[in-house]
Amino acid sequence: MSAKILLIIPAYNEQECILKTYDSIITYCAEYNMDYDVIVINDCSKDSTSAILDINNIPHIDLIHNLGIGGAVQTGYKYAKENNYDIAVQFDGDGQHDIRYVQDIIKPILENEAEFVIGSRFVDNKNDNFRSSKARRIGIHIISFFIKLVTGEKIYDTTSGFRAVNKDIIEQFSKSYPIEYPEPITTTELLKKKYKFSEVPVKMHERIGGTSSIKAWKSIYYMINVILTILIIKIRRYPSVH
Amino acid sequence: MSTNLRIMMLIVAILLFISVFIALKKGRMPLKYSLVWLFPDIILLLISCAPLSLWKFTELIGFQTVSNLVVGIFILMLFFITISLTIIVSGQNTKITLLIQEISLLKEKVREKNNNN
Repeated sequence: MSAKILLIIPAYNEQECILKTYDSIITYCAEYNMDYDVIVINDCSKDSTSAILDINNIPHIDLIHNLGIGGAVQTGYKYAKENNYDIAVQFDGDGQHDIRYVQDIIKPILENEAEFVIGSRFVDNKNDNFRSSKARRIGIHIISFFIKLVTGEKIYDTTSGFRAVNKDIIEQFSKSYPIEYPEPITTTELLKKKYKFSEVPVKMHERIGGTSSIKAWKSIYYMINVILTILIIKIRRYPSVH
Repeated sequence: MSTNLRIMMLIVAILLFISVFIALKKGRMPLKYSLVWLFPDIILLLISCAPLSLWKFTELIGFQTVSNLVVGIFILMLFFITISLTIIVSGQNTKITLLIQEISLLKEKVREKNNNN
């Protein structure tokens, strides 16, 4: 196995869990003899995230100004492109994602079955640990409906931030990536461009610390934005890749 | 349209032109962006000089008085200007994001190099 794999970890005010997340990755890699590289993108955190990254010698990029989740993740893709990685995995810094599932997520790409893979909480009922609120589930269903409408493909976990993409998509993401609400939007765009995808079941933990980028009072605004963007993607023209 | 309104509009159009011209001359505004203002200014000028007979169609498009039509045209022009500004700002936003990302990546590279030496 010679594919170069990078875990992109966006972090904004994650001082409580970023070290724990990093340690879990290092321990896992040592134990199972895996070779994952890590890059933490510190999105100009106001707490001591930057100091923790420095002291513990965690590979990271400090953004000189806050860009939001999309801008931070895109910086990771740019780094992946510059350093010639074959697969980039988006991994949350707040302890929600479990490092053991990374191998499941990259497997379809390694076996050439898919070009991007979504780690999904809803594909089968592996999810005894993760209870998302009812409103959130409904929201995810509605987005799922619109993605199906626009692309004809059924995605179960539309807002999952646990994803892997191949080299071709790394290149694309490094050029253009939505600043806000990137997950459902990039998924729709990739499907519209006819990339092969796969959705694999993963377990997610409740977040250890930090706050979700989707706050309750913002959720209606979020839904309107995402649905409208998805509908705009429908009328845009994209060259098909295959 | 009353002569008073004509004179008022003419004055506004001239003042607008002078301020854009000064900004251009002092290099505070590139020509590209000044066009957003110059086009409405020309429209304003044309309206204030338009002959009486032209205003016959005011009622045709549903305005009750000429001055209402003028206000309507003003609002349209402001829409045009605001949309242009939104497009300009969005473009700049993209560029700023790119700069922040590239500088941050570069800083990381420099730091890495310094650590290795």
